[in-house]
Amino acid sequence: MTDRTFIWLTVACYAVAGALTFWRLRGREAHPLNYALMLAGFALQTTFLYWRGQNLQRCPLTNTFETTVFIAWAAVLFYLLIGPAYRVSFLGAFSAPLAVALGLIALLGLNDSPRVTPLSRSAWVDFHAGIAILACGAFGLAFVAGIMYLVQERQLKSRKLSSSFLLLPPIEQLDVINYRLVLLGFIMLTAGMIGGFISYRIVGHWTRPKIVWAVVVWLLYGSLVAARHRWSVRGRRSALISVVLFALVLITFWGLNALR
Amino acid sequence: MNLLVIGLNHRTAPVEVREQLATIQLSQLLATAALREAVLLSTCNRVEVYGLGDANAAAAIRHFLRDSPHLYELRDRDCVRHLGEVVSGLDSMVLGETEILGQAKTAYLAAQQAGATGIALNRLFQKAFSTGKHIRTNTAIARGSTSVGNVAVDLAQQIFRNLAPCTVMVVGTGEMSEATAKALHSRGAGTIMVCSRSHERAQAVAGQLGGQAISYDDWPARFPAVDIVISATAAPHPIITREKLIPLMKTRHQRPLFLIDIAVPRDIERTCGELENVFLYDIDDLQQIASQNVAAREREIAGARAIIAEHAERFWCWFELNLKQDRTVAPGDVAFSR
Repeated sequence: MTDRTFIWLTVACYAVAGALTFWRLRGREAHPLNYALMLAGFALQTTFLYWRGQNLQRCPLTNTFETTVFIAWAAVLFYLLIGPAYRVSFLGAFSAPLAVALGLIALLGLNDSPRVTPLSRSAWVDFHAGIAILACGAFGLAFVAGIMYLVQERQLKSRKLSSSFLLLPPIEQLDVINYRLVLLGFIMLTAGMIGGFISYRIVGHWTRPKIVWAVVVWLLYGSLVAARHRWSVRGRRSALISVVLFALVLITFWGLNALR
Repeated sequence: MNLLVIGLNHRTAPVEVREQLATIQLSQLLATAALREAVLLSTCNRVEVYGLGDANAAAAIRHFLRDSPHLYELRDRDCVRHLGEVVSGLDSMVLGETEILGQAKTAYLAAQQAGATGIALNRLFQKAFSTGKHIRTNTAIARGSTSVGNVAVDLAQQIFRNLAPCTVMVVGTGEMSEATAKALHSRGAGTIMVCSRSHERAQAVAGQLGGQAISYDDWPARFPAVDIVISATAAPHPIITREKLIPLMKTRHQRPLFLIDIAVPRDIERTCGELENVFLYDIDDLQQIASQNVAAREREIAGARAIIAEHAERFWCWFELNLKQDRTVAPGDVAFSR
């Protein structure tokens, strides 16, 4: 049994959690087991990251597999934190498929070989990478809230609501959650980039495409935050942008690592 | 010993008959020797007596209900099932309505306090209440609003996080617009503004809803603060057009706007609903949702009936085992309970 088994178990937990809630779509509430299963999946995922970290003696972000697992872990972390606070039913149901997808892509498609050239060991390196990945987790959950917004908007605009329609949270609330997560992710990414520049100055080497990529992501999310305040870009438009941006972040991230 | 229900409801008797029976009191029935236990359920849609008694009980209840020709009579299993259907809202005018459960509880408690219930009716009613609750949570019989006003409230709750900070503007008064505003007000909508061609009318309606009356010419100026518009004017042309709405949405910083157009001819251009963050529903949309909800409730009838039949059968087994054969036990005899 390798530590990857934990990720298989994690994926199973999230898949059951999501399926249970979608199965009860006509109910007013998300399935009571949803949160417990998400919590169980999260615990398994944490165990994996801890073991990897212990073995590597550093933050487990040394390859695409680990990083993708870390992004999924961070997204679930934010769900577990804000889900109960907002009493948002179905946020869990929609987060679960994202966590399952990221888990499966990591397990089946991504490189999990040990890094050939060892990275310099510095607390700043771990900090900047860790917080940047946490930011990606926030963007991931913003993506989930954005999808929910788009589904709910479609339902409301089609004017064909019946008692069996999907009982999503109010559209205004989804908009607020989406925005707050984007803002949170943006703040963390900013902190991560500052950490990155400090670690660059300390360890003295950086891979150019990754820096450019991070700056572009930072600029794009920054524009989304600014657009809301400057031009009242909210609702459908900002939900759609946050969905597209997160998809873009993942694809370019995987692509960038495959190229190297 | 027989378990039976005799009564009339909105299906069997016109309101003139029901109102005549609305004043009868349970105490008038208690003197009857043929009845061992009795509960009188009297609401605006039904008057029913549930009883446990000997062979003469039916005649006594019929007499008590003034021998109305509209009475129905159900015995034993059918009686148990009937009460299950009544408390679950299956027998109500508005299918699945929940008020009846409370009314039945009140009726039962009144009978219990008057000493009119015993071991049979206590169990019958308590089991029926739990059946009713079970059906409400496990089927969709009480789900989805069935009136235009409540459908509008449901939609508002799917749009806004909280109705308390929302401002509702009623443009043009009328039965339907007032009912919709009232429904929003009762679920917590914060500020209500009413404007009408007749300022007196606006003031009267605003007074009822705890809102403020504004002059008809003022409404465009007040519009930026508004979140929900209920429009019901007699204007022959749309009063809210896409051209007017686009700059208004800008001044509102694109906050969501819920437009409820219940006027015929319509007050709000249909294309307004295509704008981002604008949600437009006209009277047909709302009515369609309401009737879809009614249809969805109707689809739940069979499932609810199955649950009732199962619960009724369980009660009936208990009843036959403990009470049916015995003709000697006095009501409320504790030794008899198991």
